[in-house]
Amino acid sequence: MNEVTSEEQGDFTVVRLSGEVDLSWSQQVRQAILDALEREAGVGVELSAVSYIDSSGIAALVEGFQNARQNGRRFALVAVSQAVMAVLELARLDRVFPIVADVEAARAV
Amino acid sequence: MTPSTATMLARAAQGDDARAFALLADLSEALAESLDLRQTLTQALNRIADYMEAEAASLFLLDAATGLLECKVCVGPVDLTGLTLSMEQGVVGLAATENAVQIVADAQTDPRVHKRMDAETGFVTRSLLCAPLTTANGPIGVLELINRKSGAPFDATDAGILRLLAAPAALAINNARMARELIEQQRLKREFDLARRLQKSLLPKRRRAGFPLLAVNVPAHEISGDFYDYFDLPDGRIGFVIGDVSGKGLDAALLMTRAASLLRWAGKDGLAPSEWLRRANDELCQTTQDGRFVCALVGYYARASGQVRLAGAGFPPALLHADGDYAEFRSDGPPLGIVADMTFAETMVTLGSGTLYFFSDGVTDVRTGASRLGNAGVRSLIDRYATLPPEVRLRSMVSELRSLKLVDDTTILLLEEPRAHPPQVLLRRSFAAEPERMRNVRADLRHALDAAQVAPELRDRLVLAVDEACCNIIRHAYRDRAGDITLSLRRDGDVLEFELRDSAPSVDPCTVRPRELGECRSGGLGVAIIDQVMDEWLLQPRRGGSGNVLRMIKRCPQPQEDEA
Repeated sequence: MNEVTSEEQGDFTVVRLSGEVDLSWSQQVRQAILDALEREAGVGVELSAVSYIDSSGIAALVEGFQNARQNGRRFALVAVSQAVMAVLELARLDRVFPIVADVEAARAV
Repeated sequence: MTPSTATMLARAAQGDDARAFALLADLSEALAESLDLRQTLTQALNRIADYMEAEAASLFLLDAATGLLECKVCVGPVDLTGLTLSMEQGVVGLAATENAVQIVADAQTDPRVHKRMDAETGFVTRSLLCAPLTTANGPIGVLELINRKSGAPFDATDAGILRLLAAPAALAINNARMARELIEQQRLKREFDLARRLQKSLLPKRRRAGFPLLAVNVPAHEISGDFYDYFDLPDGRIGFVIGDVSGKGLDAALLMTRAASLLRWAGKDGLAPSEWLRRANDELCQTTQDGRFVCALVGYYARASGQVRLAGAGFPPALLHADGDYAEFRSDGPPLGIVADMTFAETMVTLGSGTLYFFSDGVTDVRTGASRLGNAGVRSLIDRYATLPPEVRLRSMVSELRSLKLVDDTTILLLEEPRAHPPQVLLRRSFAAEPERMRNVRADLRHALDAAQVAPELRDRLVLAVDEACCNIIRHAYRDRAGDITLSLRRDGDVLEFELRDSAPSVDPCTVRPRELGECRSGGLGVAIIDQVMDEWLLQPRRGGSGNVLRMIKRCPQPQEDEA
C-alpha cells in the first residue's frame, strides 16, 4: 500500500513512507517532507517499507535534504530498505544523504 | 547638377507642374498593382513620353548574367526592342555605369553619343535624356527619352522629372524579379526533394529477419552519391552492390541513379563479378563525361557453400570480422566510367560464422577532431558493437558516426548469416501514458525478466530504467497530454532489447542528455539512470509522422541450460 504518514516526536518528525514511491504520488511525498520541515527542527524519512522508488521519489528526498541544510534543520534517511539503497547507490547519492539505522540515531544527526 | 528628389516633388506638387505629380502618383499605382508588368511598362512609357513631349522613349534592362543592356520596351517611330548595348556603349551605358542622369543637348556633336543607330535607322537624334533605374543593389536598367517634339533640348528640370518617374518603374521591375527568383528557388527545392525521394526509392527494401544482407545509407547532404543494392538470383545466390559516385550535388546524384540501375541490370544476368563490372564499365564509359566516375564493389553470396565471390572497382577493401580477427579483401580494379575495356580481378571469401563489412570511403573519412577515423577507427567501431544483433549494431554504429562529423555520404553494407535462434519476444504491451499505470507495467516487466531468468538485482535496475524512460515520455514528450506507450522486450542472443514507442510530438534526441551522477539536485536524474543501467540507448523520431522510438540495449548472457 502506498502511504505517507507523519509522526511528531517532540521537536522531531518522522515521515514514514511505504509501498512503491513513483511519479503517480511523489508530489504528495515531497509535500509531506517539506511540511514536516516547516514544523520541526528535525526530520527523519523512514523508508523500511518502501519496495520501490523512482527518480521522482529520489528528487523529493534531495529537495527535502537541501531545504533542511539551508534552514539549519536536521535531516536523515532512516532504516533504508534494500530496494531504496540500490537506487541511491545507482544514483551515487548513498554518500550524499545522512543514512541511519533508526529514529534514535536520526535525532542525533 | 540635377535638383534633388525632394525639391522636384515640392515643385511638382505646386504651380505648373502639378500635372507631373499626378502622373507620378498614377504611374506608381499602376506599376504597384500591375499583373502584367510588360504591358504596364509599355503604357507607363507612353505616358512618360507624352508628358515629356518626347518623340521616342525606350526602357533598357541590365542582364546580370551577360552584363548587357537590352531594350525591353520601346515607344516611337523606330522599334528598338531586343537591341542590346554593352555598358560602355553610348549615353544609355553611361547612365547605367555612373548610376546618374545624363543630359545631351546636342546629340550630333556630343562625344558621348553612339552614332551607329542613326546611321542604320535613318532617325536623326538631336537631344537625349537618360535616367538609371536605381535599386538598393545598384542600377538595373535605363529609361531613355529622345528628341523633344518642340525641338528644344532637354534640360535639368526634365532630368529631375525623369529621375522621379523612373523610381516606381525600378521598384516594380525589382519586385517582379525578386518574386521570380523566389519561385525559382521553390522550384529547385521541389526538384531536390523529388531527386531525394527518387534516390531513396532506388535502394532496396529491408528484407525480413533471416536475410543475410543489411545496409544503411546516411547522406552528408540532401542528396546522396552513395548507393547499394541486393537481389536474389534464380539459382539461389544473392547478388549485392555498393557504390559511390565522385562529386556531390544534383549531377552526381543523377549519375548515381544511372550507375545503380546499370549495375543491377548487369548483375541480374548472374555473370561472374569481373565480367559484371567490365560490362558496367564499358556502358558507363560511353556516356559519362566531365571526369566523373563511379567506385563500386559487386559480388554474389552462395548461402549453401558460405562462399562470397566479389570484385571491386576503386572501392575500399571488404573487411571480414570473424572470431575476433579482421581480414581485409582488396580487389583493386580501376573506378568505372574512365577507360573502357578494363579487366577486374575477383576475390573469394569464406564467410562462415563471420561478418563481412563493406564501407564507402565516407566512413573512414569521418572526422574525429582533426584526424580521420581511418581503418583502425573503423575496426574499433565494429568491436564496440560486435556482440549486438546486426540491425542494432548498424544503428549503433551509424549513431556514433553521426555524432562525429560526416564529410561525405556514408554507406555500410553488412553480410552475415543470421543466428540459429531468432529474436524472441518476451513482453509486449501498450498502456495509457499516465503515472498511475506504471505500477502494473513494472509488475509485468518484473515477471517477464524473471521468466527470462535475469538475476534479481539486474532485473530491478532494468525495471527502474524502463520506468524512468516511461516517466520521461509522459512528462516531456506527451507533456501530460493523453496518449499511449508500447513497450516491447526482446531477447536476441545475449542481448535484451527494450523498445518504447509513443505517438507524442517528435523530441530532438540532442536535447536528451544524462547529467552527472552523484550531484545533489532534484532534476534530470532519470536519463542518468537509464545511461548508467543500459549498455546503449538510442532515441529516434518515428518514421513517417509523429512519435518517438527509444531503444535500450543490455547485454545479458543467456543462462546455460543443464545438459542433463
